[in-house]
Amino acid sequence: MYIPKDLDDALEYLDKNAPDAIPIAGGTDVLIQIREGKLKPKVLVDLSGLKSQLSYVKRVNGKIAIGALTSVAELDESFLVKDKRYLGFADVSAKFASPILKPLATIGGNIGVAVSASDYVTLLHVLNVQVKLVSVKGERVVPLEKLVVEKRTLAKEPNEIIYEVLFDELLENSSTAFMKFDRREMIITGYVTCATYLQLKNNVIEDVRIAFDRVTRRIPGRAKKTEDFLKGKEFSLDVIRQAYNEVLPTEMKRKSDFRASAEYRLDMSKVMMKRALLKAKSRIEGGV
Amino acid sequence: MTQTQVQEYPEITITLNVNGKDFTVNVKPYERLIDVLRYKLGFLSVKEGCGRGECGTCTVIMDGKLVPSCLVLAVQARGKKIITLEGIAPQGKLHAIQKALLDTYAMQCGFCFPGVIMAAYHLLSKNQNPSEDEIKYALSGNLCRCGSYLRFVKAVKLAAEYIRKGQVYFDLKKVPP
Repeated sequence: MYIPKDLDDALEYLDKNAPDAIPIAGGTDVLIQIREGKLKPKVLVDLSGLKSQLSYVKRVNGKIAIGALTSVAELDESFLVKDKRYLGFADVSAKFASPILKPLATIGGNIGVAVSASDYVTLLHVLNVQVKLVSVKGERVVPLEKLVVEKRTLAKEPNEIIYEVLFDELLENSSTAFMKFDRREMIITGYVTCATYLQLKNNVIEDVRIAFDRVTRRIPGRAKKTEDFLKGKEFSLDVIRQAYNEVLPTEMKRKSDFRASAEYRLDMSKVMMKRALLKAKSRIEGGV
Repeated sequence: MTQTQVQEYPEITITLNVNGKDFTVNVKPYERLIDVLRYKLGFLSVKEGCGRGECGTCTVIMDGKLVPSCLVLAVQARGKKIITLEGIAPQGKLHAIQKALLDTYAMQCGFCFPGVIMAAYHLLSKNQNPSEDEIKYALSGNLCRCGSYLRFVKAVKLAAEYIRKGQVYFDLKKVPP
């Protein structure tokens, strides 16, 4: 365990000792991985002391920046859950783990874990998020899609730390929604999770982004063919039905496991996509 | 056969404030808060259930936040204020939540109780008139193997009533066993 004085100290230590040393923020995943013997670090670099520096949600030049150490409980108190455009964040938080984990779990940690159950990653995909990484050499900004490359694998050097999450402020005529489907919905990964971003003008879909917990690989991803099909069309149930019946199955490859079969998951993905789009639409119109 | 030498990590000295008292302890870097509270400081109410933050039995209040002590390293809790079940009522007294749980006969095996009481205490310290949904949400992180969930909700409502009336503590001798 290494307790850094400040961020620079942590970065320097990581640069010298990575990959033997790994950063730990909330610890809700790292400690379980260590306990199960899947991860055997020699040193943990405790980032929790940097919380005052890296925990924030703020508007900067038309963008929204979320610090990597912002916990789920802190996101719940930020302006994001009060703005109808960002209600997707409230959806994720409502289905996220359990109340006792929310003060610990951080948004940067959720990206760092990078599994299909990382609900924030699914949501952040539809917001076209850029992730800022820092190391001793400076900082760089990577799109989320390029950062999360495979299950539990990030396209980042071991000496880099996830610093913040950046995305453009959404337009007035747009909103987000997130849905999780399982027998119970907390402390569980979900058979299917779906996040949507919708931008409407006179009931015509100007822009739409749809992300699932799994499209082709074992990480959250976007259903881009379905998005392209929907763009420019009028928002109606028939169009959505056509999209999920004809286009979505061509790009989605679900896998069966002991929890649910691939066919069932695909079917539920269709339903979740429809519901999440309708939810986003009702939010644009002022509902919840 | 030669045994491989395991390198022992040096201990770190930290200060914890548990239930209003300061403790200075030497901990190994890999020790969790639950290990230190249970085995080094003797707060045996903190129980280990799953060890991975799912069951809520090891819940404590750290700096006003409800956290599972099995997922906090002792070193990360340095300098923090911690409240365990032992700290919610003075010696010889029962807290209203404990009394209410007895009144509603909620106890079956009782293993989950430390966590449930801490979650209820955390809720009632912020909101003395919680709705049924708020109670259910606040206790949703605590699993009870015996299935006393409905009685917990009843008990928390009763405890809120006691607290609103000003009866926060009850004398242990006057509570029927």
